[in-house]
Amino acid sequence: MAQDVKGTPIVKGLGFNSFGIGTNACTVDIDKENDKILRIRPFHFDEHQTPEELNAWKLEARGSTFEPGFKTLISPLSLCYKKRVYSKNRIPYPLKRVDWDPNGDRNPQNRGTSGYERISWDEAAELVAAEIKRVHDLYGPASILCELDGHGETKFVHAPHGCQSRMFDLIGRYTLQTRQPDSWEGWYWGAKHIWGMDPLGQNSLQNNVIQDIARNGDAVLFWGCDVETTPLGWGGYLASRICFWFTELGIKQIHISPDVNYTNAVHGDYWIPVKPNTDAALQLAIAYTWIIEGTYDQEYLDTHAIGFENFKYYVLGGEDGIPKTPKWAEAICGVPSYVIKAFARYWAKHAVSIAHCNGGSFIRSCYAHEPARLEVALLGMQAVGKPGANQFKFIEWTLYGMDTVTPLPPSSEIPNCSPAYRGWFRSFPESFIPKTMIPQAIMNPPVTWYGHIGAGFPREDQFEGPYTFPLEGNERLHMIWSDTPCWETCWNGGNEMQEALRHESIEFIIVQHPWMENDCFFADVILPTNTKFETEDIGTDSDNGQWNVVYFEQQAIQPRLDSKSDMEAVGEVAKKLEKYGGIYENLYKRYMGGKTCEEYIEAGFLNTGAAEKMSFEEFKERQYYAFPTKENWEELPVGLSQFYNDPERYPLSTPSGKLEYYSTSLAEQFPDDKERGPIPKWIDEGAGHQERQYLARGRKYPFLLVSNHPRWRVHANLDDVTWFREMEEYVKVTGPDGYKYEPVWVHPQDAGMLGLETGDIVKIYNERGAVMGGVRVTERIRPGVVYQDHGSRVDSAVLGRGGLDRGGANNLIAPTPTTSEHAHGEVTSGFLVNVEKVDVFKLAEEYPEAFNRKYDPDCGLVADARIVKGE
Amino acid sequence: MGKIFIFDHAKCNGCRNCQIACKDEHVDNDWSPYAKPQPDTGQFWTRINETVCGQVPKVKVSYTLETCMHCDNAPCIAAAPDAVYKREDGLVIIDPEKSKGKAEIVDSCPYGAIFWNEELDIPQKCSGCAHLVDAGEVPHCVDVCPHEAIRFGDEEDFADEILASTLLYPEREDDKPRVYYLNLPKRFLAGVVVDPEADEVIIGAKVTAENVDTNEVFVQKTDDFGDFWFTQVEKSNWRVYVESEGYLTRVIEASTVEEDRNVGPVFLYKSDLAQ
Repeated sequence: MAQDVKGTPIVKGLGFNSFGIGTNACTVDIDKENDKILRIRPFHFDEHQTPEELNAWKLEARGSTFEPGFKTLISPLSLCYKKRVYSKNRIPYPLKRVDWDPNGDRNPQNRGTSGYERISWDEAAELVAAEIKRVHDLYGPASILCELDGHGETKFVHAPHGCQSRMFDLIGRYTLQTRQPDSWEGWYWGAKHIWGMDPLGQNSLQNNVIQDIARNGDAVLFWGCDVETTPLGWGGYLASRICFWFTELGIKQIHISPDVNYTNAVHGDYWIPVKPNTDAALQLAIAYTWIIEGTYDQEYLDTHAIGFENFKYYVLGGEDGIPKTPKWAEAICGVPSYVIKAFARYWAKHAVSIAHCNGGSFIRSCYAHEPARLEVALLGMQAVGKPGANQFKFIEWTLYGMDTVTPLPPSSEIPNCSPAYRGWFRSFPESFIPKTMIPQAIMNPPVTWYGHIGAGFPREDQFEGPYTFPLEGNERLHMIWSDTPCWETCWNGGNEMQEALRHESIEFIIVQHPWMENDCFFADVILPTNTKFETEDIGTDSDNGQWNVVYFEQQAIQPRLDSKSDMEAVGEVAKKLEKYGGIYENLYKRYMGGKTCEEYIEAGFLNTGAAEKMSFEEFKERQYYAFPTKENWEELPVGLSQFYNDPERYPLSTPSGKLEYYSTSLAEQFPDDKERGPIPKWIDEGAGHQERQYLARGRKYPFLLVSNHPRWRVHANLDDVTWFREMEEYVKVTGPDGYKYEPVWVHPQDAGMLGLETGDIVKIYNERGAVMGGVRVTERIRPGVVYQDHGSRVDSAVLGRGGLDRGGANNLIAPTPTTSEHAHGEVTSGFLVNVEKVDVFKLAEEYPEAFNRKYDPDCGLVADARIVKGE
Repeated sequence: MGKIFIFDHAKCNGCRNCQIACKDEHVDNDWSPYAKPQPDTGQFWTRINETVCGQVPKVKVSYTLETCMHCDNAPCIAAAPDAVYKREDGLVIIDPEKSKGKAEIVDSCPYGAIFWNEELDIPQKCSGCAHLVDAGEVPHCVDVCPHEAIRFGDEEDFADEILASTLLYPEREDDKPRVYYLNLPKRFLAGVVVDPEADEVIIGAKVTAENVDTNEVFVQKTDDFGDFWFTQVEKSNWRVYVESEGYLTRVIEASTVEEDRNVGPVFLYKSDLAQ
């Protein structure tokens, strides 16, 4: 063995945070001589720093010690990354849609079905520049929509999202597709109105909660929370290790969810299989039980809450004549009333906390603000903030640079490399559109709404407006530039988005992306960008829960194929715009901001405390600096303990400073809103949504669909990883036609009624369309409910409303209307469908073009399937 | 003495890091003379098998490591002593040169741990990352396990674990496998006891599980949720007696032979209706 088996170690952050925040630090061994990645492995904090220098933390409780270890606890979603870099789905070179002629017929109606031909970077940049100039002259800059959010790779200088907005900011701005508070839907739109907790509505005061539970807690409720899945794009397995520790300590882990998620599967002590998006009924029945039996803390409510009497009146049936009894709830949520009562009594007698990882039907379905508010209402009834009773998260431990959102010992600094960041910087142009309303904004302007609908805005912002698009005097949208081409498979009502992308008003769509997937097929010009292995950059990881760290990311390999980084790709267009003079003069230099890539990396480094410890040269040599644990972290107040002890001195950020069981602001601002009133309630249905099994539409579409954050993807990322896809049944299900379908979990009882067996191919459908899937008959899902992860790549046979998708991208058939009348979140789980076995060979005859497209079962869709003129 | 692997079922979260790390290490990397590149898909030198246990709402998932056992009496060495050898440290290596064309080596393995590489015309399997072990490292799968569910090291350092371990395939004891399993799951037998007329679970009910095949008897009281869970019981037929004061005793027949068993709600009725 002549070769060096160890290779040269470099550092890469393999998370998906994207906005100048990094995560998932990994060591990558490279073979420099052969321009090759050897392996990906954990990053070691103690390579250049001793445990003393790290001020290494440990937790102690009940005679047991928990230590985080000195290497990152990486997941397969990082380990697999070579397959992303070398994917057959990488876009090989710039492409133009064959039947898009900027000087003649643009054929917008053919987007989604047309082929592509190779063009040069020069030609591509020229075409894009000419279109920008034309749209500017004809319609004005606000007719250009920038889609620049989502979960690209964690890159700083070569930012995956928003490089184009940097350029547009210099030439008359643009219309922004807002970065929604997605994954926090119900918290943002609901929980904020009962306990404040900006910016997200989840508990912002989590310090030392894990240690507190370890010492004082009896149980943790995992309400749709999947520690083994959701954190992986933004963290690793420290959260999983905490669950094992809780088990060792005898802390009961209770899962409330329609599915046996991957955490319940391993760590769960008790499972309450609730039907999707019926948690509000279950919660109301718990409140009812406590009220009737007098087992809640009235004294605490007297001093810590307002409006509880209004809530109690509603729960007991005074308001609508329906007491919210466990029997009432059973009929809605499918949990036997004797279970609800036993659970309510257990909770009332023990110190119980609630854990979350965002996501799931609990929080991203219609009216999601109600279960979120009701959760806080229940926590309040049992004196939230008392020892062992808090709400906390297993994820996003430094979100928004806040040092109070980690339940673990925090590091002394959350490194901020923002001077190195070249993507979108959360600047808000005057013209913007909520992401959930894009299809309507394109096809039926004007659209109106309340609030900026941006992650991070304060509670009061939800009452601002109404805002409108287009702004007065402006034209509608005519051009889209997306570096986030996954709207169809990640948002609400993707089939309608397909229609919008084919709408005649949209004259030009440009997409920049490393992989040929999803919305790429609707682009007129495609720019192939590259992965972070192909560039030099800086990175941070502040979500591992161990120690925050800033690192230098060496280039691992030369850029693959004919790709450029996202920053460089936009730069090519900037260069071509210069010839138009005026506002475009000297644009490239202005866009680059006067620094080289290395100078940006240095500026990022200098903005962190690491610069006080070493020079930039030393940083590049050592490749990282980890920030020690904060001194005296044990003294940070535990969770909501200060509010618990002294609510007058430590108020919440609600108008009254207390828990608002009756929200005065909602009552004032939206007095006629029946879907999100002042008191959290059970909502059957409304103008936008009819998604209840027991009402009329449920007869036609009798199953509720659970669509979680995917186990083997990060949203739309990683669907092409061959090493995952070969895990038959767990990751994909191979049909009789050799196509790997996205799994659909069906309970044996339902499978019996539907005549289904494991391996059968089905369509999941409602009036919005159908998506296909491969059946896995399993006890991991409760009867009456089917499960299919979200984020599978779209592979449409029929486009638009009523369409058919082979890929299993179920967001295509999610409801288009948002959370509720004044809450503009996405509704992408817990909606009604029917399930039916299909004959794939018959479908292949019916839709020969889609079913005979070039396909590689290992990788799935491949980049060259739609390239009709290549090399 | 030499190197061994320990797999602790109770520590495995089913993440597949080990399985993916094996791909990461061996696909497109040539670690001759110990291993030629593994094909991109279709071979699992290290894999986690997944079994769903029980019925709604008593369901668990069990994950088990399957890999080369690096047997001391390796059937593959017996089948092809010229092509397969045992290193001094105990790792069993299929020589990629000498094993060319010898498909019989694949069939010799009772664990299904050897795969045929069509393209290279060789049998392939876990090498214990011998190239890394030679360089003073642990196998890649071991390095990436977040919970130390897979450990690797010198036999003498794991004496306690080996003592507490079982074999994945006890009937293959004579192979002297060098992968030792801790906490391998047996069956569970569970249920909930309910008074349907009061619409309440019954807490503290006495549940007696009698193994019909062995006459072994286990006793439990139902917990705060009215649940009983007999864990780590044998594959067997059971008679379950459920008793609570003031209720008629019930006897339920159940089987854990084929799978773990949730007997569902056991309804108890009042013994004296006049009360």
